[in-house]
Amino acid sequence: MKHVVIASAFMAAIFSFLSCGKNKETENTVTLRLEHAVAGAPLTLNKIQYQAQSGHRFSVERLKYYISNVVLYRADGSTYESDAVHYREEGIAATAELALGDVPDGEYTRLRFIVGLDETTNKPNGLPPTPENINMEWPIPGEEGYHYMKFEGKYDSMGAGVIKSFNLHTGAAKNQPYYVAVDLTLSGLSVDNDNWNITLQMDLNEWLQNPHTYDFEQFGPGIMTKPAAQQILMENGASLFTVHAAVRE
Amino acid sequence: MKNLRFGLVAGLALLLYSACSKEPEPGPPLVYDPVPYEIDIPSWFPPMTIPPGNPTTVQGVALGRRLYYDPILHPAGATSCAGCHFQERSFSSGPAILPHVNLGWNRNFLWNGRVQGTLEDIMYFEVTEFFKTDISRLQNHPEYPRLFYEAFGIRQISHELAAKALAQWMRTLISANSPRDQSIWGVPRIFLPDEAIDGAIIFNTERGDCFHCHGGIFFTDNQFHNIGLDAEPAEPGYEAVSGNPADRGKFKTPTLRNIALTAPYMHDGRFKTLEEVIDFYSEGVKKSPNIDPLMKWAHLGGLHLSAKEKSDLLAFLHTLTDSSFIRDPRFKSPF
Ligand code: HEC
Ligand code: HEC
Repeated sequence: MKHVVIASAFMAAIFSFLSCGKNKETENTVTLRLEHAVAGAPLTLNKIQYQAQSGHRFSVERLKYYISNVVLYRADGSTYESDAVHYREEGIAATAELALGDVPDGEYTRLRFIVGLDETTNKPNGLPPTPENINMEWPIPGEEGYHYMKFEGKYDSMGAGVIKSFNLHTGAAKNQPYYVAVDLTLSGLSVDNDNWNITLQMDLNEWLQNPHTYDFEQFGPGIMTKPAAQQILMENGASLFTVHAAVRE
Repeated sequence: MKNLRFGLVAGLALLLYSACSKEPEPGPPLVYDPVPYEIDIPSWFPPMTIPPGNPTTVQGVALGRRLYYDPILHPAGATSCAGCHFQERSFSSGPAILPHVNLGWNRNFLWNGRVQGTLEDIMYFEVTEFFKTDISRLQNHPEYPRLFYEAFGIRQISHELAAKALAQWMRTLISANSPRDQSIWGVPRIFLPDEAIDGAIIFNTERGDCFHCHGGIFFTDNQFHNIGLDAEPAEPGYEAVSGNPADRGKFKTPTLRNIALTAPYMHDGRFKTLEEVIDFYSEGVKKSPNIDPLMKWAHLGGLHLSAKEKSDLLAFLHTLTDSSFIRDPRFKSPF
């Protein structure tokens, strides 16, 4: 019967696919695990409970962002570059890890990447049309591309306790790229025919401080066309991530 | 997960069938020779993911279409699917009846997200829980056993197979030919009236900020939001599914494609016209405790649009009506 033959061919294909996925003796994988915290404590959503340097108490309701242009450096300056564009969404466990392809053996001392997208991907249809990417589109006429980040929540405006919303949407506002360059020191990452996990923690308070105090009240609920706000976030972003662990699997 | 289970059930059914099919059956010889159906996806739409367990075929789509228009699915024969979902109204009609537009790309179904997964999953829900279809009515019908066999090569009709056929047909209900589409991708491109162009700018910038939820090619993010219709939401919405109190009053963002055809609006049909909807976003937003942060001016009651901004936005919404979709003969009743 034709359909049974097709079904079993399909099953056979599935099985061979599953088994070849595990067959990677010669590949070294370095996995970046992206975690989120506020003031050092793991992020919990939807409650006005955090304290910003500007004095406002705030909640976090959504966090979505891209990291891309990941580069690992050896001490002699030679590099391994990944072309991955990784989408991370708080609450979606499947987005927590970014596996960097076949990393050559070596002792790596530095990790750099950007939070956001560069000009090669930040343009109309620059990314594959997955539901996540479509929902990150930045459709402002003349500036089309993608949001780099959506960090949304509410804050107590302190004026008579009025609760307002903030939407820290970063991107190439007015066509100026405001992506965040992250540059981290690694210790002990000596890839030698093995797999590694690096846990990186983004502390959301760092968007709002260091070096500049970001004041929700100053820029209002939306900042997509506000270069001054984008500039502050870009500069604050340098201290966003800390390396929490680099361990051999 | 659910898809997997669906696939396994279907696979099992195939195996079982092949085991027992050696015994000849009475009746005329049946032919199972399905012809692949090429879904007509416009170049500016993303590819559609089709579950491997239910490839689209000419026979499957035709069967799904017939089932959709046939009251036989209803145990009392009281109505067909099309009794509420009218093609000329983008497969919607009265209050809260969700339209069938581009659902092949949809993952969250029903206002509160009660069914998540593939079209097969929502169609299985429709025939089992909503209609409670009596399969014996199909099995004893003079034609359906042959039509199911031609579509699936299986003699024993089941809720799963009815759901699969409906899902195949639903995947073909693609609406992509509105004046808005033609103004960007049409050959030749058409020009929209000035007020609609101004309305598009309101829609796609933070002035109106509609795009954060109703954006992209589908005019929906297919996510759940509390937009502040009520200070105290009367219905739990997505909370009923997630169990998380933070999801109270959140409903699925409806597509705005063909929105001028689907009044009244919102999950409870509270607004009769698009003007009322725009007035709501402009002045009527309530400070519900878990209102979405994207309702950026909730603390002021809304966007406070001028009369011109309102009419521009309305003009833009009217450019989303695809009049070829609602007349497409492929989507009409086969009876
Ligand atoms: C009595 C009117 C009625 C009939 C008949 C009916 N529907 Fe519906 N349909 C609705 C309503 C109302 C909703 C929204 C319900 C909700 O979300 O809770 C809906 C929602 C849906 C949805 C979800 C769409 C989305 O965007 O999530 C699908 C799919 C659907 N119906 C398919 C069918 C099919 C298939 C049939 C026939 C088996 C059918 N309907 C018969 C009223 C009807
Ligand atoms: C925060 C997300 C969000 C934003 C921003 C938003 N919407 Fe909505 N919209 C929704 C959701 C969710 C619903 C359904 C709400 C319900 O029924 O409870 C909806 C419903 C609608 C409806 C009725 C749809 C139907 O089929 O009943 C229209 C029309 C609409 N919105 C237009 C707009 C316009 C125009 C804007 C910009 C001014 C806008 N929306 C901004 C999420 C949003």
